[in-house]
Amino acid sequence: MTETLAQAAPDREALALELRRTAAGSRRRRYLAVVGGWLAFLLVWWGLAALLGSEARLPSPPRVLQEVREILAGDFWTQFWASIVRVIAGFFAAVAIGTPLGFIMGRSRYWGNFLQAPVVVAGSIPGLTYAVMAFVVFGISFWGPVMAVGLISMPYVAINVAEGVRGVDRGLINMSIAYHRSEQQIFRNVVVPSVLPFIFAGVRLSFSLAWKVGTLTEVFGSSKGIGFQIRRNFQLFNMPAVIAWVLLFCLFMLLIERLVLVRLERRLFRWRQWERD
Amino acid sequence: MSAVTPVIEQASSGRVRRFLTGPVGAQITAVIAFLLLWQLVTLIAPRVPTPASVAHFLYIEITGGPHGGIVTGQFWEHFAATLRYFSIGLLIGFTAGVLVGVVIGSSRIGQALLNDTVLVLLTLPAFVWAFLATMWFGISWQAPVVAVAFSSFPFVTINVAQGVRSITPELKNMSSAFGVSRRKRFRHLTLAAVTGYLFAGLRFAIIIGWNGILLWEWFSGQEGVGFRTRYWFDANRYRGFVGWVIVFIVFIVIVDRVLLNRLQARAFRWRDPGEVSDGIEQNGG
Repeated sequence: MTETLAQAAPDREALALELRRTAAGSRRRRYLAVVGGWLAFLLVWWGLAALLGSEARLPSPPRVLQEVREILAGDFWTQFWASIVRVIAGFFAAVAIGTPLGFIMGRSRYWGNFLQAPVVVAGSIPGLTYAVMAFVVFGISFWGPVMAVGLISMPYVAINVAEGVRGVDRGLINMSIAYHRSEQQIFRNVVVPSVLPFIFAGVRLSFSLAWKVGTLTEVFGSSKGIGFQIRRNFQLFNMPAVIAWVLLFCLFMLLIERLVLVRLERRLFRWRQWERD
Repeated sequence: MSAVTPVIEQASSGRVRRFLTGPVGAQITAVIAFLLLWQLVTLIAPRVPTPASVAHFLYIEITGGPHGGIVTGQFWEHFAATLRYFSIGLLIGFTAGVLVGVVIGSSRIGQALLNDTVLVLLTLPAFVWAFLATMWFGISWQAPVVAVAFSSFPFVTINVAQGVRSITPELKNMSSAFGVSRRKRFRHLTLAAVTGYLFAGLRFAIIIGWNGILLWEWFSGQEGVGFRTRYWFDANRYRGFVGWVIVFIVFIVIVDRVLLNRLQARAFRWRDPGEVSDGIEQNGG
């Protein structure tokens, strides 16, 4: 008996070591594959560009890189800042309209039914509609993209808030009433903290969509912003610049999503850590 | 007799009230409230066309007739042109999405190689594809097809990859241990797991591809729904513009809510009825 145990122990250790080694190996292999993926992508792009041999069709990666450098050295930050400020203002509008709507939908069954169809339809309207509407209402102005972003994100906020309000813990409210907390205190300390994550989830869900519609609105009615730059270069038939602006757009959208939103979420909901773990 | 009438009246008014406060009544009230609100807005902003004038415009646009000197009645021609390019592009985008999705979902190397590229494609707005398609193919039949295929492709890929990953290895091992045939395994295990994700992908593809083709037609088209919308917009006839906007919204809502919901319910008839979700999906910018 003791013999088998003694024998098993080193075996297990060896097994664990072996497992760790293969895990490290597979991780290394995965990194290699990801890098390989990017290399393959670049190579395919380069090859296609060489094959077509036309800058107006598909410029080569170094040509686009040069364009990116020029844009970054030029007025990129002004343009980028113009776009991002509008998207953020639009989110505030969406939260300002969507939260009360969501509260009503979550509190009363009648208003839930009443608003269900309009909110769902508003969520599946093509972005083109909002962009053109914003242009018609505001012309070339700061408020056009704000309105479009607000309208496109509002349904997501409203539906999430309704969901959150329906999910508020009745037990907690009853307990607060039993302990003679005032209505205001219950709202601040029970309802708001449990609905807040849902507001944030609505904003996060609609983030990429809002960013896209905001840019689309700049295509129609704006004199600056990333969307305007893409359209201007499209009209000039300047393919390297179009691709460079599009790449910068992608890069910053991914960066904001990964770095800012994910961090903000963690910070805002630190107190919920126990729930997630 | 005189004692009975009020009772009947009361009962019927109770029924009316119950209907009005019920789900169907609430929805009908919402539609009426929307139309009233619209009418109200036209009183404040005279540039906004009234609901009646838009309905009248659509009637003439569909049946044909003079409309401020412009002869109309090509409604179905424009609609058919859009649908033709839309369906070809969707078919290409969906097929490519399923193929790449299966590769990403089933092989580690495939995922590492392709996942990042698909994520980048996912962040691109549809109008970028509309512009690029025009720069590549000019004004031709390939351009709208490419715009639809490229804008819908990454959404299908992501969903299918997730579906393939969701197949539980335990079930796979068990069925191979019990000697279930390859064909049966594919039908009852792989397909059953992937169907929901396929539908989600198809829905995304339809909503996003529809936006893509409208944008392409708006900027570079010579015919189609998006072209016609822009035509009336440029002619400063907002009732034509609003009329066509309503047409393309109604189309997408009907396809999404009615057709796809039915298909999905049919595909999931083996599941608990409450499980088929009916939320809103991400719409493509």
